[in-house]
Amino acid sequence: MSENSEKLIVTKIEDGTVIDRIPPGKALKILEILGIDSNYPYTVALAMRVASKKMKLKDVVKIRGKALTPQDTQKLSFIAPTATVNIIVDYKVQEKQNLKVPNHVEDFVDCVNPNCVSNAHEPIVSSFDVVSKDPLILRCVYCDRLLEQKYLNRKL
Amino acid sequence: MIPKHLFSTRIISKDFIEQIFSLASKIESNPDQFADKCKGKILGTLFFEPSTRTRLSFESAMLRLGGQILGFTSAKVSSAVKGESISDTIRMINLYSDIAVIRHYIEGVGEIAKNFASIPVISGGTGSQEHPTQALLDLYSIKKEFKEIDNLSIGVMGDLLYGRTIPSLLFALAKYENIDLHLIAPPALRLRKNVALRLKENGFKYNIEENLKDIISDLDVLYMTRIQKERFPDPVDYERLKGVYQISTEDIKNVKDRFIILHPLPRVDEIDYSIDKTKHSRYFEQALNGVWVRMALILIYLGID
Ligand SMILES: [Zn+2]
Repeated sequence: MSENSEKLIVTKIEDGTVIDRIPPGKALKILEILGIDSNYPYTVALAMRVASKKMKLKDVVKIRGKALTPQDTQKLSFIAPTATVNIIVDYKVQEKQNLKVPNHVEDFVDCVNPNCVSNAHEPIVSSFDVVSKDPLILRCVYCDRLLEQKYLNRKL
Repeated sequence: MIPKHLFSTRIISKDFIEQIFSLASKIESNPDQFADKCKGKILGTLFFEPSTRTRLSFESAMLRLGGQILGFTSAKVSSAVKGESISDTIRMINLYSDIAVIRHYIEGVGEIAKNFASIPVISGGTGSQEHPTQALLDLYSIKKEFKEIDNLSIGVMGDLLYGRTIPSLLFALAKYENIDLHLIAPPALRLRKNVALRLKENGFKYNIEENLKDIISDLDVLYMTRIQKERFPDPVDYERLKGVYQISTEDIKNVKDRFIILHPLPRVDEIDYSIDKTKHSRYFEQALNGVWVRMALILIYLGID
């Protein structure tokens, strides 16, 4: 397959978001974390395992009428750190963002520790430092426990 | 630098630890001189989890300083059973006392104190996360015995996974030089990953052992904790393993002359009573040291000379 064949599979969208260079096989997971399901009212195009010059194989997702929140982008950076986010207006790329795994995340996922104060009814939000990006490991600011890739894959 | 609240030995400096020890030592040699230092001051005691030793030790410390105590000793008698949050309870004690100690099974309470307390709050044990004042009195006991903590060979044996004194003890030890540390535990009860990671980040090295016999003759200090039956998913494992982590006079035949045994207490059956009478036992003195160390902490945190 060539770059050309991808264009045949995936149609252009008028406005919305194109997430490109997703690690192969992760596209469905990305739709899930963005809350895109069968009820989504606009065009969604998804291509899995298409040829890519940079990464041999990649997934691509195009979602019409969707703008990513900072939280969406954060989640995306953990699942698909290689991905680029293109904001499309009037069929044109208006902005291109490279994802960057942050060093700290808040109110993002629940702590793995049931006895953690961030899981109790207190006026605080969960808060984690990123101690490793590959594999992804978060450390709870409250209880110090580690959230490892396996747990995060289940939760994100 | 002294943190506003004391919930971890990880974030305090060696200088601060030594400051506590030097004051504790002064108090120990002349307690009467400190009998009125906290007159008119109130220690709030929030024990959401039952505690005998730690609570009595803190209360004794405050009373010996001439201060008073206000609080509760189990979540059953507090409004926690009515669903009051930890943050609201901390706000409340903030109004009624000058310094507070809190024990809770919930981990990360220190961060709540940071946000909601203007008075100093000290942990009296936080889940299985940490028990900083216990670690400080443990180290004080070691220092009293050997004058210096640097260069000692120390074994830590028992439940390293759930024992809350363990992370605090290791974080504090990591500040000293050339500690030859041996961790002796069944594979299922070894250090939590986050504790191991913190030690690694500090460049603190240790040896993992399964059998005390191999190393006991090299040790200056053996720090024991109890292994609780309920920590084992399979009771058969407990029965099989518990003997390995018990000691009697038989096991200490070839130890160094200056070898000592510490234990945060209460013990179950991991230290045989026959050891109590030997020159190597220090666990009862260790408990008394807790009062001096906590008196020192109260004075430092209240800013009283
Ligand atoms: Zn946590």
